[in-house]
Amino acid sequence: MADFKVSSREQGQVRIIDVRGYLDAHTAPELENEFNKLIDNEQFKVVVNFNDLNYISSAGLGVFMAYVETMREHNGDIKFSNLKDDVYNIFDLLGFPVLYEFYDKEEDAIVKYNQ
Amino acid sequence: MQTDHKIVLRNLSALVDFSNLINSSLDIEFILNNLLLTCFGKFHTSRGAVYLADKSGALRLSAEKGIKKTHDYIPLELNIHSYKTDKEFINYLKENKIVLVQEINSDKDIIGLILLGGRLTGEEYSEDDKDFLQTFLNISATAIQNSTSVLELVDLNKNLDTKVQQLSTLFDLSKEFSAILEISQVSKLLGYSIIGQLLVSKYAVVIINEAGFEVLDSKFPKDILKRTLSDLDFLTLNSPISCDETEDKNCQKLSEIGIELIVPMQIKQNTKGLILLGKRIVGGSFSKSDIEFVSSLGSLAIISIENSLLFEEALEKQRLEKDLELAKKIQQNLLPSKLPKMKNFEIAAYNQAAKQVGGDYYDAIRLDDNRVLISIGDVSGKGAQAALLMANLQAFQKSISKLNNDLIDASNLLNDLVSENTTDGRFITFFWGILNDETKQFESVNMGHNPPLLIRNSKIQKLKLGGMILGVMPTLTPYKSEVHELQKDDILILFTDGITEAMNSSNQEYSDERLEKLATELNVDNADEALKIILDDVKKFTGSTEQSDDITILVVKVN
Repeated sequence: MADFKVSSREQGQVRIIDVRGYLDAHTAPELENEFNKLIDNEQFKVVVNFNDLNYISSAGLGVFMAYVETMREHNGDIKFSNLKDDVYNIFDLLGFPVLYEFYDKEEDAIVKYNQ
Repeated sequence: MQTDHKIVLRNLSALVDFSNLINSSLDIEFILNNLLLTCFGKFHTSRGAVYLADKSGALRLSAEKGIKKTHDYIPLELNIHSYKTDKEFINYLKENKIVLVQEINSDKDIIGLILLGGRLTGEEYSEDDKDFLQTFLNISATAIQNSTSVLELVDLNKNLDTKVQQLSTLFDLSKEFSAILEISQVSKLLGYSIIGQLLVSKYAVVIINEAGFEVLDSKFPKDILKRTLSDLDFLTLNSPISCDETEDKNCQKLSEIGIELIVPMQIKQNTKGLILLGKRIVGGSFSKSDIEFVSSLGSLAIISIENSLLFEEALEKQRLEKDLELAKKIQQNLLPSKLPKMKNFEIAAYNQAAKQVGGDYYDAIRLDDNRVLISIGDVSGKGAQAALLMANLQAFQKSISKLNNDLIDASNLLNDLVSENTTDGRFITFFWGILNDETKQFESVNMGHNPPLLIRNSKIQKLKLGGMILGVMPTLTPYKSEVHELQKDDILILFTDGITEAMNSSNQEYSDERLEKLATELNVDNADEALKIILDDVKKFTGSTEQSDDITILVVKVN
């Protein structure tokens, strides 16, 4: 089974979620837990850093869909950064760029929150 | 001559430049833009547009310059074959002072139109101009076709990528679903995959069961969804339905709460569940390929859901079987492992528990050198509860037998104890009696049990005297007992209704009559033999029919 790791860290008012490895139906619940923790702690400004993510499946994408409304209702958002090309292609293929902001660098996403 | 020559040269070089330019790009906008600009420069006009035809021949505005945008005119119906007579189109030409309309031809078809406004010089387009324009258009046609082919390829590629993505999602889930999961987890993964793939924010997963339906997961208001669903007939839903495309009343109700697509989840053409989808966030309706995807996903999920339901059922069954096994063990341990030996009496007993453990019980307890207490009972109900009550009964009986009370007092006490310890209407039919080796007397009390038979000289007496069934209420009227002086070769048969109600394959009961007839015909040397004859006869009667109740029999033969 391919590995998946998720962790999060503080960056000012913004919470960065680092995802690594393979995000698929099997590992999606781990990401879900991470989002639940953030919501419990009322941290709604999120940047997901995809730097070490190699693969994402629709179930993984679904987790972002499932939580984005909650974040936005609380003046937050889920923004994406550091995507590998083939990972971005999947997002692009399914129409995510219309709904989410993508950044090359994590810092750019954070700056956007602080504006 | 000189000037003509120059003009031709200039025209030729313009053509070559144009050709080089537009063939250097596959960007349709760039090509059309340059076509228009080149025409503007060549013919001195400031208005123009290009319409391109799709495969069906429908014309679509693809580029325009200098034309007042007429928003109220949207040439939806404009067709390559009918544009010449389309009144709205002719009006549109007039309003925008378009004076020249020329077709763009490929080798086979008309692929579009170019529209040009009047020349600023006021001159009309000459035949030469038109010829020259046609040359431009012929060159452009190749470039346009190339670029539309590329666009089609890009489109095709995107569709292919989407398919691949859908397939990998299906693969991903089938891998995940192949393990046995909790149903809630299946529906959650299903939900994530759908919203991730199709960009819907609202969905629901419903399974259909014997009780109607169960909403596993819903992002629609659950109450309203349940209310709406309870009016629907799901089983007739055999294929996906788009709610905006059907007149179906049920569908309209669902559509009111935002459901756009209903996809049945089927196993072997039976609808076992539904996936309900709301609007796509990015807009647009669900494509055929989307619907196919959801259907496939649904088929995978419903199998997994069905599996986990079956798994739960199997677990439940296992629990029940364990319960039965335990009950059987308790029951077996309660029966005497050895029967007491007496001078004048010979005792034989047999008990066979049915598959579903009942509550038959018998015992034979030595009270002192001369006396043995024999008993038989049938606890109401089955399974562990009956076995536990039987365990109580056995314990009470063992304790009471130590008290040395007379049989009537003992019976009164036993009923009080059992009454205090039974709940929810349970009871026991019970018979007991004391065999006295010294006096050859048999004193007995019957508490609602099938009357035992006392056979003497082929005649039967039924031992009925006693009182109320055990455990219904505390003793108000004392029990009565009867005493029989037994004689040599008398036979006592104590039995439970498992014997007389044993069924054969035609659903007939063995019956009291048959037992009594057999009893009067018994001619045996010992108790064991009598027992065997009775059991064999019951077996002969029932044949291969499965035993539905416990069978218990206790035989006493007087020596």
